[in-house]
Amino acid sequence: MSSRLVKISLPIWLTSIFGVLMIIEFFFPMPAEITATNTTLRSFVLIVSAAALILGTVILTIAHVRRISTRKPEWYYSIIYLIAFATTAVLGLSSVRETNFLWIYNNMTSPIGAALYSLTAFYITSAAYRVFRARNWNAAVLLITGFIVLMMLIPVGAAIFPPVVPIGEWIRSFPSSAGFRGMIIGTSLGTVGLGVRIYTGRQKEHLGIREERKEVS
Amino acid sequence: MSIVKKILDLDQRVIYLILFVLLAYPILNPVILPMAIQDYSKQAFNFADSIPDGSVVLIEGGNSAATHPQCGPGLTANIYHLLTKNCKLVFFSIGAEQAFWTNREIQDAINKLPAGVPAENGVNWVHLGYISGGESGVAALAANIRSAISKDYYGTLIDDLPLMKDINDAKAFSAVFWWGGSEGSIPYGVRQLVGPYNLPMSGSCTTNEVPNYSPYISSGQMKGIFGGVRGSAEYEYLLRVPGPALGQAMATNFGGLFWLVLVVVGNVLYFIQRGRGEK
Repeated sequence: MSSRLVKISLPIWLTSIFGVLMIIEFFFPMPAEITATNTTLRSFVLIVSAAALILGTVILTIAHVRRISTRKPEWYYSIIYLIAFATTAVLGLSSVRETNFLWIYNNMTSPIGAALYSLTAFYITSAAYRVFRARNWNAAVLLITGFIVLMMLIPVGAAIFPPVVPIGEWIRSFPSSAGFRGMIIGTSLGTVGLGVRIYTGRQKEHLGIREERKEVS
Repeated sequence: MSIVKKILDLDQRVIYLILFVLLAYPILNPVILPMAIQDYSKQAFNFADSIPDGSVVLIEGGNSAATHPQCGPGLTANIYHLLTKNCKLVFFSIGAEQAFWTNREIQDAINKLPAGVPAENGVNWVHLGYISGGESGVAALAANIRSAISKDYYGTLIDDLPLMKDINDAKAFSAVFWWGGSEGSIPYGVRQLVGPYNLPMSGSCTTNEVPNYSPYISSGQMKGIFGGVRGSAEYEYLLRVPGPALGQAMATNFGGLFWLVLVVVGNVLYFIQRGRGEK
C-alpha cells in the first residue's frame, strides 16, 4: 500500500465513516447493528483515552529524567517530581484505598490544591485595587457591572443594599446570558464547520500534517 | 510623593495580610449572618425537592482537591437530600481524581444521615468511579453502562450490584445532577443526557463559571445551578443541615466587602490624582 493511502486517505475515510455513523445515530433511530457498532466504537474511545493517560505520564517522566541528566536550569525540581511520582505510583498501585495513599491525598494533595486555587483571591484583590479603574466609559460600565454582580454574590450584599439582587440577577440572566449564548452558538457552528472540513479531508492537522497556505494576492 | 500616590502604591503584602485576616477570622469563629437565596439556587433546590421519592438519579461528581472546599459541601448536601427521599443514586466521575473526592463526599453525607435512613452501597447507591474519554465517555455511559465500565469504584462487578440489576442506560434515570466543579463539563451533560434522553438536569460549578451556564438555565435545559461556596451554603441553609459551607460563605462576606472597598478607594484616589494632574 502506498504511503499516502496509509497515512492520509485511510484515516480520513475512517474518520468520515465513523463520524457520520455517530451523527446519524444522534438524530435518527438506527438498526441494532449500527447501534452495536457505535457502542463498540465508544468503548474504543474510553480505552484509548485511558491509554493516553499512561502515555502522557511516561512522556512526562522521560522529560523530567532528561532535564536531570542534562542539568537544565532548575533541574532539581524534576527530582521532586520523580520522588512524588514514584511514591504515589507505588502506593496507588498497591491499593488506592490503603491508608498511606489516602494520607497523601488528604494531607498533601487536598490542602495544596485548595491553597493554590485560593491564592487567586489574593492576586485578584491586589490587581483590582491597582488596575480596576474607570479610565473611560467602557471601563466604567465594566466597573459598575462588576460591582453590582459581586455585591449580589456576597451573602450579606442584599442586606446592605437590597436592589443589588434584582439588578444583579437581571444582568446575569439577560445581558450576560445573551453574550454567553452567542459564544456557545458561535463555538458550535465553528465545531460543525471543523467537522465538515475534517470529514472531507480539507483539515489534516489532526493527522500531523501541516499544509502551507497559499497566499491569495 | 503625595499621600494619594502613597496610598495607591500600597505594598501588596499589606493587602494580602488584611485579606488573610478577613477570610480566616470568620472561618475560625463562624457567625451566620442573614443571607438572601439566589434564584438559581432556589430553582436547583426546588428541582431536587420535586424528584419523586424512590427515583433513580444519576450524579456526576466532578469536584477536585481545588474545588472540594467550595462545591464539596453542596454535593454532600445533595446526597443527604436525595437519600432522605429514599432515592437510588448512581455516581460517576469523568476525572480520576474527581472519583476519589466523590467517594469522600458520599461518605460525608452518609455520616450525617439521621438514624434509620438506608444508605447501603450497592442497594441505595453505587459509585461507578472514573469513566475515561471525557464527553465521549459520557455518551458511552448514557448509551450502555456495561460497555463503558465493568466494575464499580470498589472493584465489585456491576452485575453483582443489586441496584444496577435493571439499569444499563440513561433511560433508567429520572434526573441528573452534574456537580462539575471547575471541570467545565456541564455542557457534556446537556449535550449527552438532556438532549438525547430528555433527562431533567441540575448541578453545580464554581462561582466564576455560573455565567457560562446561564443560557442553559434560561432555555430550560438546566433546572437551576448551585454556584460555588455560596451555592453550597444556600443548599445547607435550605435543607436546614448546617455544614462547612455556611461558615465559609460568611468568610466571603468579609473578603468580598474588602474587595469592593479597595476598588472604590482606588477609583476615588485615582480621580483625585487625575484632578490634580499628577501621574
